[in-house]
Amino acid sequence: MEKNWDVIIIGGGPAGLSAAIYCGRALRKTLVLEKKVFGGQIVNADIIENYPGFSEPIIPADLMDQMSRQAERYGVTLENDEVSALQREGDAWKVSVYQNTYQAKAIIYAAGSVSRFLGVKGEKELLGRGVSVCATCDAPFFLQKKVAVLGGGDTALSEALHLSKFASLVYLIHRRDKFRAEKILQDRVFKNDKIKVIWDAEILGFKGDQRLEGLELRNKKSNSVETVAFDGAFLAIGTTPSTELLKDLVELDENGYAVTDMSLSTAAKGVFVAGEVIKGNRRQVAISVGMGVQASLSCEDYLASLD
Amino acid sequence: MAEITAANDLNFESFIKANRMIIVDFWAPTCMPCRLMEPGLEKIAASHEESVKVLKVNVNESPKTSSRFFVRSLPTLLFIKDGQVKTQIVGAVNPNQIEKTLNEVR
Repeated sequence: MEKNWDVIIIGGGPAGLSAAIYCGRALRKTLVLEKKVFGGQIVNADIIENYPGFSEPIIPADLMDQMSRQAERYGVTLENDEVSALQREGDAWKVSVYQNTYQAKAIIYAAGSVSRFLGVKGEKELLGRGVSVCATCDAPFFLQKKVAVLGGGDTALSEALHLSKFASLVYLIHRRDKFRAEKILQDRVFKNDKIKVIWDAEILGFKGDQRLEGLELRNKKSNSVETVAFDGAFLAIGTTPSTELLKDLVELDENGYAVTDMSLSTAAKGVFVAGEVIKGNRRQVAISVGMGVQASLSCEDYLASLD
Repeated sequence: MAEITAANDLNFESFIKANRMIIVDFWAPTCMPCRLMEPGLEKIAASHEESVKVLKVNVNESPKTSSRFFVRSLPTLLFIKDGQVKTQIVGAVNPNQIEKTLNEVR
């Protein structure tokens, strides 16, 4: 495997792959490193209906497969490996992975985000035993069962709609008294007989021994606490940015998001950011794609200045 | 090149008896990360052809095997040595992570 690259892109989701297409077309030797699966978190969704350019709903995994192949078409190398360290060494950036080290003139950091957890009792212990972060992955286990989806955004409502095809009843449990998801998703949820909504609810704990048996809920308005039986609970309460590798290099805000401007450059020379590592990103494939393109253009300006 | 072998409720036990080290990939057709992780798993199957048997179990078709191991989240990789579950990985991972885990348990 080649050691020296012009650009190493960390993260193979919509932002990273879009950046890769542009870097490839700029004829830069480009490596994309992805620690899980190429395509990013969006492959967990069952369909995408709002990505411009497609009049019919599309399968996210297919869209992302096309993006990967488009990057490869322009000579980009895609490698399924996890970055363990990112350091400046002389004029280059040193990128450490499992049993290997690479060097690059520039870095596009698009490592995305990971599902947020509530941090309440029983959650970690029952993860994979009824508590899930991926409805499309785990829906088959809940055929004709009663499940809960926690959250009120696009992901939560999409997951509830998907689960309603499998489960007997789906409860959307939200901490506020209204959703922030797309109105069209809200409309579908309210019209779906199998989906019920529990508003103003705080999750106090996940109950169960070998598997999830129920959720302990507190009504934030009445303060009443009750335990409701559920076979499954799907977390869709947002994400936290994967920026641990940047923490000594780039300015991060109090929640760990990278601070940047329209150019998507950072205080670290030759390091650009894109996608869900940036504060204010609203978790849309189209936004991440645009950011990936912008970061690669800024990166190209930087590389050209070195040439 | 060694392929991943499809196993089910009927033949699963025979694989356990016939192989010292097994990796079981629990998957379903609706699980996209499972599909995307498969090339990585094929790599592992090929590079450890002599010593490791890699199985895949479709949870929709083999509910008994999935519930026997309390699998309720996909993808799940189970590492079984001499008939005993050594460890499991829940969620999509890269082939190096699988390799690392394999080295720890074998």
